[in-house]
Amino acid sequence: MPRRITIGLATILSVCTLWYGLTTLFGIIPAGRFPSPAETWSALIHVSGRGYGGGDLAMHVYNSLRLVVMGFLVAIMTGVPLGLLMGWSRKAEAFINPIFLIIRPIPPLAWIPLAILWLGLGDAAKIMVIWFSAFVPSVINTYTGVRNIERPVLEAAYMLGMPKFRFVTEVMIPGASPMIFTGLRLSLQASWTTLVAAELVGAFYGLGRVLNVAQQDLYPGMILVGMIAVAILGWGTTRVLGMAEAHALRWNTAALAAKG
Amino acid sequence: MGVIEFKNVNKVFGPRATGFRALEDINLEIRDKEFMAIVGPSGCGKTTCLRMVAGFETATDGVVSVDGTPIKRPGPDRAVVFQQFALFPWKSVYDNIDLGLRNLNVSRADREARIDAILDLMNLKQYAKHFPHQLSGGMQQRVAIARAYVLDPDVLLMDEPFGALDAQTRVVMQEELVRLARKNPRSVLFITHAVEEAVYLADRVAIMTRAPGRIKEVLDIASIRNAENWDSYEKIEDVMDLESFVHLRTHIWRSLREEKAAQHA
Repeated sequence: MPRRITIGLATILSVCTLWYGLTTLFGIIPAGRFPSPAETWSALIHVSGRGYGGGDLAMHVYNSLRLVVMGFLVAIMTGVPLGLLMGWSRKAEAFINPIFLIIRPIPPLAWIPLAILWLGLGDAAKIMVIWFSAFVPSVINTYTGVRNIERPVLEAAYMLGMPKFRFVTEVMIPGASPMIFTGLRLSLQASWTTLVAAELVGAFYGLGRVLNVAQQDLYPGMILVGMIAVAILGWGTTRVLGMAEAHALRWNTAALAAKG
Repeated sequence: MGVIEFKNVNKVFGPRATGFRALEDINLEIRDKEFMAIVGPSGCGKTTCLRMVAGFETATDGVVSVDGTPIKRPGPDRAVVFQQFALFPWKSVYDNIDLGLRNLNVSRADREARIDAILDLMNLKQYAKHFPHQLSGGMQQRVAIARAYVLDPDVLLMDEPFGALDAQTRVVMQEELVRLARKNPRSVLFITHAVEEAVYLADRVAIMTRAPGRIKEVLDIASIRNAENWDSYEKIEDVMDLESFVHLRTHIWRSLREEKAAQHA
């Protein structure tokens, strides 16, 4: 087993032992403040079996995951092309940048009340809020990526007489792709943050809804289950994106390896 | 055909009256299939000359033309080899060379044949599937030369192509370029600050003054090379020992040193 994984497992194991010791074994942390492993386990059984907060665990997970993926896709499918356009054309940048300067200082979560007012407690409001928060990092990083393509590489493309469409697909996008992926990672993070916040404020299903109901029920075990579920899903989706990135940037990892 | 002509060319960066005067009254003709090297002190505008032929810069006054047609934009009829290689790092060696041919809508079979031939000629066959970063600097520049040569351009523009290479690799590349240029002559504009390189490679050498750059002198190397039969020597050091070579080299050195002295005066 690689050394890194061994150390990682050892860390998790020690944290769990410490958790067990502080709550169950010595009772230093009272049960009302922080749940013991046993309470957390029974909350997990509770939500996956009988269900909690309007549905069982699979249903909450499915709903949260679905909304994150949809919001994320809407955000990057609009954000990346806009970033490409701004990177390509100074005119487009001049048009679009002022709008950004006005919208950017507004924290994405501040859109939640307006979104719920417009679109209600259903999917549409949440996708809209995720879109607002996940859109910006995609645009900015894609734009920066295009602007960072080295001038000789662009000149080589001009010299080779590239048709416009091929220039975009074979020079601009791959040239900007390391930065585009940085943007996607930040967008994904923003998607999760915003979704959980939006579900806390109002939702019929979802992990944020579980957290919210558990808080009102004074049910620490369930709160922890909700938090761990979000953590695992966030990690999993980031992992999937990381695999896509590693595949798309094979040429770049070769570059990094060559540089040592 | 590939006759490159500079006619009364001035180049000012910035406003005409107050900007930086890079080139002044450049008049130069590079004949069809002639190898012309430009040497000059750094900052004299020699690279700007090349960039105007490539279509990356426009002249402030005067005309830069190829076969009588003024240059408007970059294009594959004027292939460029850059000092920093400028390969597409996300494309394999093969795809880097292929791209220009695809843009010219060459048929697949024809492309494959031409790429195979150039890979063979440049000793790159076994690296066809490699990415640029997996190759040494010398290998990368070989790919860049292959990418330019495969287009079969009328005009080949080389901007200090060996400037980023170590001394040994540089010598090998110079020998290979001589081989390539004699076998498959093109109109070449070759920018360098290395005097030996210019004398070894070129048919004629143009010496430029410090900024604002002017053409100070154009030396005919080809007639001496042919008279002394330089091409019969396989190794560059054998040519460099010849009295005729040393004489030319010293002449150019002196001329450049005058420019250096003038700069400090």
